[in-house]
Amino acid sequence: MTPLDIGLVSIVAIIVMIYLGVYIPIALGMVSFVAIWAMRGNLDLSFALLKIAIGDSAMEYTFATIPLFTFMGLIVSKAGLGADIYAVMNQGCRRITGGIGMATVGANAVFAAVTGSSIASASVFSKMSVPEMLRQEYNPRFAVGVVAGSSVLGMIIPPSAMLIIYSFVAEQSVGEMFLAGVVPGILLAIAYVAAIWFMGRFMPRAVGGRILEQDDLMGWGEIAAKTLPIIGLIVVVLGGIYTGWTTPVEAGAAGSLLGILIAAVRRRINLRSFWETVIETGHITAAILFLITAASMYARMLGIAGLPNELQTILATHEFSFFWIMALLVVLMLFLGTILDTASIILIVVPLFLPLIDAMGLSLVWFGIVAVVAAEIGLLTPPLGLSCFVIKATLDDDRIALKDVFLGALPFAFVMLLVLILLIRFPALSLAILN
Amino acid sequence: MAANASGTLVVVVLIAVVNYDIIARGIFNKPFHGAVEVVQFSMVLIVFLQLPDVIRVGRLTRSDGFLTVMRHRRPAAGRWMANGIDAMSALFMVLVAVAIWPEFLEMWDTKDYFGVPGVFTAPWWPVKLVIFLSACLCTVHFILHIFTRTGDDIPHQESGS
Amino acid sequence: TETIKAVVIDGYPARALWVKEFTEFFIPEVDRRLAETGNYKMDWQESYGGTIVKPKGVLEGIKLGLGDIGIVTTIFHSSKLPSQALSAVTPFVAADARAVAKAVDEIAKEYPAMQAEFDAQNQVYLATGVVLDTYQVFSREPVNSLSDLEGSKVAGAGMNLRYLEGIDGAAGVRGGLTDFYNMVQTGLVDHAMLWPEAASTFKIAEVAPYMLKADLGAVNSKTITVNKDYWEKLPDEVKQVLQDVAVEYRDHVAGIAMDRAQASRDAYVAAGGTIVEMSPEERKAWAMSMPNIAAEWAKGLDDAGQPGTEMLQAYMAKLKDAGFEPVRDWAAEAATN
Ligand code: NA
Ligand code: NA
Repeated sequence: MTPLDIGLVSIVAIIVMIYLGVYIPIALGMVSFVAIWAMRGNLDLSFALLKIAIGDSAMEYTFATIPLFTFMGLIVSKAGLGADIYAVMNQGCRRITGGIGMATVGANAVFAAVTGSSIASASVFSKMSVPEMLRQEYNPRFAVGVVAGSSVLGMIIPPSAMLIIYSFVAEQSVGEMFLAGVVPGILLAIAYVAAIWFMGRFMPRAVGGRILEQDDLMGWGEIAAKTLPIIGLIVVVLGGIYTGWTTPVEAGAAGSLLGILIAAVRRRINLRSFWETVIETGHITAAILFLITAASMYARMLGIAGLPNELQTILATHEFSFFWIMALLVVLMLFLGTILDTASIILIVVPLFLPLIDAMGLSLVWFGIVAVVAAEIGLLTPPLGLSCFVIKATLDDDRIALKDVFLGALPFAFVMLLVLILLIRFPALSLAILN
Repeated sequence: MAANASGTLVVVVLIAVVNYDIIARGIFNKPFHGAVEVVQFSMVLIVFLQLPDVIRVGRLTRSDGFLTVMRHRRPAAGRWMANGIDAMSALFMVLVAVAIWPEFLEMWDTKDYFGVPGVFTAPWWPVKLVIFLSACLCTVHFILHIFTRTGDDIPHQESGS
Repeated sequence: TETIKAVVIDGYPARALWVKEFTEFFIPEVDRRLAETGNYKMDWQESYGGTIVKPKGVLEGIKLGLGDIGIVTTIFHSSKLPSQALSAVTPFVAADARAVAKAVDEIAKEYPAMQAEFDAQNQVYLATGVVLDTYQVFSREPVNSLSDLEGSKVAGAGMNLRYLEGIDGAAGVRGGLTDFYNMVQTGLVDHAMLWPEAASTFKIAEVAPYMLKADLGAVNSKTITVNKDYWEKLPDEVKQVLQDVAVEYRDHVAGIAMDRAQASRDAYVAAGGTIVEMSPEERKAWAMSMPNIAAEWAKGLDDAGQPGTEMLQAYMAKLKDAGFEPVRDWAAEAATN
C-alpha cells in the first residue's frame, strides 16, 4: 500500500468507527496503532508511537490555557457576567424589531472575550435570552436560532480552545492565533446583526415579536456596575496578550483569579460550587487533551506513512489551484461537521492540509482561522450539532423540539458560510491586526 | 474518588503558581524559575488524574446517534455493540499501560529529570507513574461499563466545542 | 544497486537553517558519494516540523525507531545528555561557531562520554552542529558596563540564566525565543540574551536598540544521530559516507552560521541598533563573578564515572590551540578543586 492508500483507508476506518459510536480518541488511537503495525509489520513501532504521543502531548506548556480559560469562562458565568452584559445590550436595542436578537448577538460577542468555549455561551444565553424572546412573542425557532448562532462566537473571538488546539497542531503562536481571531469574530457578529435586521425587515413572520415598553430602565450607575467587571476582565486578558505583558497561559491564570474575586465579591460562589466548577474544568481538560493526544498519534502515523511528503509531490506535479484546495477543505469540513465535534474535525483535517498550505506559501495563521470557522459550522448542523444539543438540554421545554433548534440555527449556519468565504478570499481580515 | 479530587486540586495549584510567578516577577524582581516545569507537570496530572472519572461518568467524546437508534430499535444488538466498543476501549488503555510501564521503570532507575540543572529540575518518574496508574483505572472503568451499562445516556459534549 | 530507505526526522520546520542545510547539503552530498561506486542508493523520507516528532521528541523518536536519522537538539536533554553542555558551561572562551563545533565534535570522538550517552539512548553519534556564533546582551537603554546589568531583569533560556548568578540583584527571566520581543517591549525585562541572527529574525532592534558585545560564546546545540538498530544493518560503505559527510555538514553549517552572524549584526545596525563593545576588563569582571559552572559540570561527570575534568581540560586546550584565549580558565580551577 502506498502512503496515500494508508491515509485514505485509515480515514475511512476512523469515520466508520466514529459513526458506529466508538469514543473518538479510542478510534483515532486504535486505528493509528494498527496502521503502523500493518505498515511496518513491527509491533514495537506501534508501542513506540503510543509512548511518544502520550508522553509528549500533555506536557505542552501552552495547553495550560485550556483549563485556565475553561475555568475562567465557567466562573464568570457563575458570577453572572453574561446576564449583566445581556441586560445592558437588551436595553440598548429595545426599540428595534429583532433588537433582542441583536442584543443576544452583541452580548455573546462580549461574553466570548472572556470564555474559551461555545458550550458556556450556549447554556448561559439559552437560559436568559430564549425565555425573554418567547415572552415578547418572538418565533421560537428564531429565538433558539439566534442563541445557537451567536454561541459560536465564543470559539472564534479569543480566548478560544479551538484556536489553542490549532496552534498546537500547526505550531503557531497561541497569542498570534488569538489576535487573528478578533476581526473575524467581530465580522461574524456584525454579519449576524445584519442578517437579523434583514429577516426582521423582509420575513417578519419568521422573526415575530412585539415591542414591549420596559417600565424600569437601568440608570447609568447600574449600567456601569454591570459592564465594568467584564470590561476589566477583557482588558486584563486580551490586553495582557496584545501588549505582551502576559503570555496566554498567564493571561488565563490572571483572568481565572480575577473571575474568582468577582464571583466572591458578588457572593455568587461558595466552597461547594467553586469545587464543582473546578471538577467541571478538570473533566473538560482531560477529555480535550486525551482527544488531542490520540489525534497527535494519528497525525504522527500519517507522518510515518509519508503522507505529507506524498501530498506535496502530488501538489507539485498537478498544480492544484488555490480555489480547488479551499473548496475541498470546506466541503470536507462541512461533511465531518455533521457527525464530529469541532476539536476532532480540526485535529483530523488540519494535519492533512498543512503540508499543502505550507507548500503554497500561505499563512498558517490565516489558515487556522479558516479551519476553525469552517469546523465551527458543524456546531449548528444536524445530526450532531453540539451548540443545538446544549440549547435543547438547557431549555428543557417541550414546546421546542431539537428539530426547531436546528431549523432556527440554519440561517445562521448559512451566514457563517458566507463569512467563511470572505475570510478565505481576504486573508487580510485575519492578518491585518498582526502587522 | 481520590484521583479525581487530587486532579481537581491541581487545577487550583496551576492558577496559584502562575499568578505567583506573575506577581513575584513583576513586583519583587524574583521570578519563579520552575513555573514552566510546574505548569507542564500539572497538565499531565490534571489530564491523567481526571481521565478515569471522565470515563466513569460516560463523558468521553463520542458521536452516539447511531448507537442510540440501535438501542431503541434492536436493544440486543445495540447492547452488544456498546459492549464491544467498551471492550475495545479497555484494550486500548491496556496497550497504553503496557507501553508506559517500562518507561516508568527506566525513569525510576536512571533518575532522569527535565529542566535545566542549577535553574530548576523535576524528576520524570512521577509523570510516567501517574500515566500508568491512570491507564489501569481507565481500563477498570471501561470494563465496569460493560457490566453495568449505565452512564452513557447523557449527551456527550466534553470536547468543549 | 541496492536501495536503502532512510527516514530523517526533526521537529523543527524545513526552513530552519540546520534542517535546510540537511536537505540541501547533507543529502545531496551523501547521494553523490554513493553514486561514485554505484553500490548503494538512498531513498530519503524527510519528515520535519512535527509531522512525526516535536523538537524535544527527536531523541526519543530516534531511540524508538520512529525515525532512522535525526537532528537532536541537545540542550533540551540536560539529564540524558549531560556532557553535551560542554560549551554552554564555558562562556567567554570562543565566539566562533566553527571552532566550537570542531572542538566539541573532536571531544565527542576522543572521549567515550558523549557517544556512550547516545548509545544509552539506542543511537549512534555522527557529529555535532553549532548554529549560533555567540550570545550577546540586547538592551532597551544604553549599556556599557557590567554595572548596567545590576538590579535589572534579563531574559534568557536554559544554561545562560546561570551566567547572571554573580551579578548583584540581576534576575534572569525565562522565556522562549519568540517571547523576547514582547518581554523587552513591555519592560518585563530590561535586557535579553540572544544571538545576533535571532535578534535580526525577531526584529529586536525595534525594542532593544543597544547591543552589548559581550561575546559570551558559541554553544553547540545540534547532534546528528542514527538509530542503533538501523545503523547495525547498514553496509560499511554507507556508514563511512554518513560519518564523513556529517563532519563536512558540521563545518558547513557552522560556516553559514558565522556568515549569517555578520550579516545580522549589519542588519541590526541598519535597523537603528547601536553596538557597544564591552571592555576586556568588564568581560573579565563578568566572567569572574560567575560560579564556576564548568567545574560543577566536570565534577558531575567525574562522579558518574566519566572523565569530565579531562574532557574540560582537553576542550579548553583545543580552543587555545585554535587561537582563542579564555577570559577565565575554567579548566585550571576545575583541576585544583
Ligand atoms: Na472566546
Ligand atoms: Na454538526
